[in-house]
Amino acid sequence: MSDIAPFHGFGLGLRRAHYTDFLEGAVPVDFVEVISENYMVEGGKPLRVLEQVRAKHPVILHGVSMSIGSAHGLDENYLARLKALAGRIEPLWVSDHLCWTRTSAHNSHDLLPLPLTNDALDIVCDNIDRAQEALGRAMLLENPSSYMTFPNDEMTEWNFLAAIVRRTGCYLLLDVNNVYVSAQNHGFDTTEYIAGLPLERVRQIHLAGHTPGAIVIDTHDREVCEEVWALYAEAIALCGPVATMVERDDRIPALPELLAELDRARAVAATGFGISA
Amino acid sequence: MNALAEQQHSFMAALLDEERMLPADWSGRHAVGLAIYRNNYRTAIVEALRSTFERTQRLVGESAFRRAATHHVIVNPPSSWTLDMAGEGFDETCRQLFAEDPEVAEIAWLEWAMHRAFVARDAVPLSAQAFTGICASLVDTDWEDLRLAFVPGLTLAPVCHDLSRLWPSLNGADEEPTILSLETPHYALVWRQGERPVFVLKSDIEARMLAALESGATWGDACAILVGALGEDGAVVEAGQILGQWLSQGLICGID
Repeated sequence: MSDIAPFHGFGLGLRRAHYTDFLEGAVPVDFVEVISENYMVEGGKPLRVLEQVRAKHPVILHGVSMSIGSAHGLDENYLARLKALAGRIEPLWVSDHLCWTRTSAHNSHDLLPLPLTNDALDIVCDNIDRAQEALGRAMLLENPSSYMTFPNDEMTEWNFLAAIVRRTGCYLLLDVNNVYVSAQNHGFDTTEYIAGLPLERVRQIHLAGHTPGAIVIDTHDREVCEEVWALYAEAIALCGPVATMVERDDRIPALPELLAELDRARAVAATGFGISA
Repeated sequence: MNALAEQQHSFMAALLDEERMLPADWSGRHAVGLAIYRNNYRTAIVEALRSTFERTQRLVGESAFRRAATHHVIVNPPSSWTLDMAGEGFDETCRQLFAEDPEVAEIAWLEWAMHRAFVARDAVPLSAQAFTGICASLVDTDWEDLRLAFVPGLTLAPVCHDLSRLWPSLNGADEEPTILSLETPHYALVWRQGERPVFVLKSDIEARMLAALESGATWGDACAILVGALGEDGAVVEAGQILGQWLSQGLICGID
């Protein structure tokens, strides 16, 4: 499987509310990330918009429905469509989440938690091998946020991810907000989590907002909080220059607000690398 | 079934059915976590339906729509990998839940057909000039055997209400929807012009011709429907007008 070269830059997720900004203006981002499934369609406006954006910016295909942890294997039709989209767009890379979304009968359209067992590890690795073979490229796997763990867990999430990377050769998308959210919900140490990952395989970092509470919810509907900025500073200093983006999926503000957050990410990263922003 | 498959099957069943007993080794904290996933699941589907069926929601009101959408999620849990397909069959759900108001199911069908046409495969419609050029060398028997290919996403369904009045009245600006019954049954025809899904109402005869041609019938077969309704003389004139209208509307993308 071919290597994924590091790409140092700062980007945003392409959302419908900002189509006009991206199509008609010069948005100061180094890349754009899109939800793959929104463009895995036969034709029409979505694909034309994506191709026009692609003409201006490198694009990352970020999926939510591969169901890489599904015990029922992967959907070959899904893989074929994703491969066709990747062939058309030539993305920087393709990513999805460490989770499962479906059984053979139903699809939850939510990122459901996996038991961290050796049995699950085998299945996830088999599925990633199949996905990378079908796509003809290595992929990035994102650490999830979660609201429950399982009584039969046999290892930590960071050890689970490290084993996946070792066995499949995939890369990591480190979602710093997800680390924070899950740490709050399950009581682990965020520094231990990040230090336990094979950081040389991290190619991208996600930043996002969440909803605080007795259980912290990964809502992507507000600005990045101070604790997550601090964790980003810690992570970027350890990872070195990797692509960073701000994710917003709900209560999407005007573009300048997101660009301001991205400027802050640039400044934090520059401090972490010891260079001026 | 391996251990993970069994665990995922149980988890999915618990996600879909709020009455289901939880595994014996789950604590209260697991129940709280599952409740969040249940809420995420249902909210995502209902919001997807709300986004696809904006006009249906305006027609029935927010609370009735939420009840219908929740009912649809329970009765038809999604199976497709794409959330885009969550609205499949929602018109049928509306037909059952709003049986006294059949215009609700008609609007829901129309919104779904427009939703699907929006991302249908791209095709370049034949212009009248291009069609004439291709057909210039045809003789009568060739015309009898001619088959037409329609643009992807084209679909039609019978309606009893004037959707050409009802649809614009549900754009969010009007206070009251315009609900008018049609004197004779019509069909709503949906397709995409460029990037924009559109619809028109068609007569029963024209719709039957379209449906026959869509199913692989020849132009001669379609004209026989017209002859049966209008007689030989009337059919000849009408057939030419219908074909010209289909070309001007961008419905035809090829001939065989």
